[in-house]
Amino acid sequence: MVHVFRYKEHYYIFDTGSSALHECDEKAALLLREKLGEDVDTAEVTPEERRAYEEDFEELKKAGLLFKEEVKAAPPKSDEVKALCLHICHDCNLRCKYCFADEGAYHAKREFMSLETAKKAIDFLIENSGNRRILETDFFGGEPLMNFDVVKETVYYAKAEAAKRGKKFLFTLTTNGLLLKDDIAEFLNAEMENVVLSLDGRKEVHDAVRKTANGKGSFDLVIENLKNFVKIRGNKSYYVRGTFTAKNLDFSKDVLFLADNGFDSISMEPVVTDIPDLAITKKDLSAVCAEYDRLCDKYLEREAQGKGFNFFHFNIDLEGGPCLSKRVSACGAGNEYFSVVPNGDIYPCHQFAGDQDFRMGNVYEGKLDETIRAKFKNSCLFKRKKCDGCFAKFICSGGCSANNYHFNGDINDPYEITCEMMKKRVEDAMHILAERKSRSHT
Amino acid sequence: MNKIKTIARPAERKVTGCGECRSTCQSACKTSCTVGNQSCERITRESDPEKNK
Repeated sequence: MVHVFRYKEHYYIFDTGSSALHECDEKAALLLREKLGEDVDTAEVTPEERRAYEEDFEELKKAGLLFKEEVKAAPPKSDEVKALCLHICHDCNLRCKYCFADEGAYHAKREFMSLETAKKAIDFLIENSGNRRILETDFFGGEPLMNFDVVKETVYYAKAEAAKRGKKFLFTLTTNGLLLKDDIAEFLNAEMENVVLSLDGRKEVHDAVRKTANGKGSFDLVIENLKNFVKIRGNKSYYVRGTFTAKNLDFSKDVLFLADNGFDSISMEPVVTDIPDLAITKKDLSAVCAEYDRLCDKYLEREAQGKGFNFFHFNIDLEGGPCLSKRVSACGAGNEYFSVVPNGDIYPCHQFAGDQDFRMGNVYEGKLDETIRAKFKNSCLFKRKKCDGCFAKFICSGGCSANNYHFNGDINDPYEITCEMMKKRVEDAMHILAERKSRSHT
Repeated sequence: MNKIKTIARPAERKVTGCGECRSTCQSACKTSCTVGNQSCERITRESDPEKNK
């Protein structure tokens, strides 16, 4: 399919079959929309102009960059397990209002993963990884640093076991920063491929939802720890990861606040909750989309001033990004990627943790429920019928299975609100690509 | 071509479906993954030998 869209005075054509992006003028956009069967007024286009545009369309078509047929079948998926999300601690030292994980407890008792269970999980991953050389483990919670000794020993164990098999681990850890003191920061800096730091932006925004157990805002308790960590992090990967809710639909200000405070790798995610005053609903969509546009303008403005930063959702790689196989198979949850909770139970991902309908086994048993696994293995973009006519499908892969399930009851039924935000981010990201290209030529 | 400027065209891929790409979300957004904004691990490693160690 071909998607024609506008960003202010700029007109773009995105060809989903080839992933080619073109910039055009208003008349070309009109003619293409006419070709796509839309009812548009092309009276201002002269016959000579029409001929010239048609020649351009034809040239692009011949080059395989317009109206290219889309791939319609997914390549077979491997059974190799690549990654585990280790719920190293089902407890948290914060009580964030929007926490999907029930403030760290996941609707069960608060508990820490033992080193024995963590080692069993690592063994499970290695044993089921087949020929895969690079393995990933994500230390998650609750707050994983509350069980830091187990994090540390698990890293040492995994590295030693991987070395025996010619494999290598990439570790990630997500933290709220409360316990991120110098010695821990040093360890994380040395061992973690990526560190995700939770911070929502402006103090008043952060404090309204990210509270301590005694109900006070946590901003002042974490900000210096996070800043110091980023200082010593150097060029290694990290993301400051915020959440926006219906209470801060002006979230571009939070992103810019983070950038102004020295964080140059930022992700800001829409909240996933059904709490009435926080949830993003249909009525918020136009405000959210307008805010992404505002952020896009500021993002480019900062970049032009030499003060650019990285905003996760505005990164899009149309030329060298993931291959089609990855684009149609999405994150791999429930097939190549699993979540392990403190008692060793295995779930498709952290968002399903604790839901007995999705319990896939236990690391002490060492095998997986193949019925549940088959559901995830068979799930792919082409099973998500709502995606058929969407230009962003090869970029988002049909959305998050857990989100789809929790909102629509089916891992293959995309949640429309998420879709609309995704489409807007993708269009903004494409505009950024075009602006960068234009600047590099001037 | 006079009226249309190509901004991005897909690279020809010699290898696809090698499975080396990451599963864990790189921003740990964990709810709104955009697969298209991840990098191809194979290309990254081939262009940066340090990553292959």
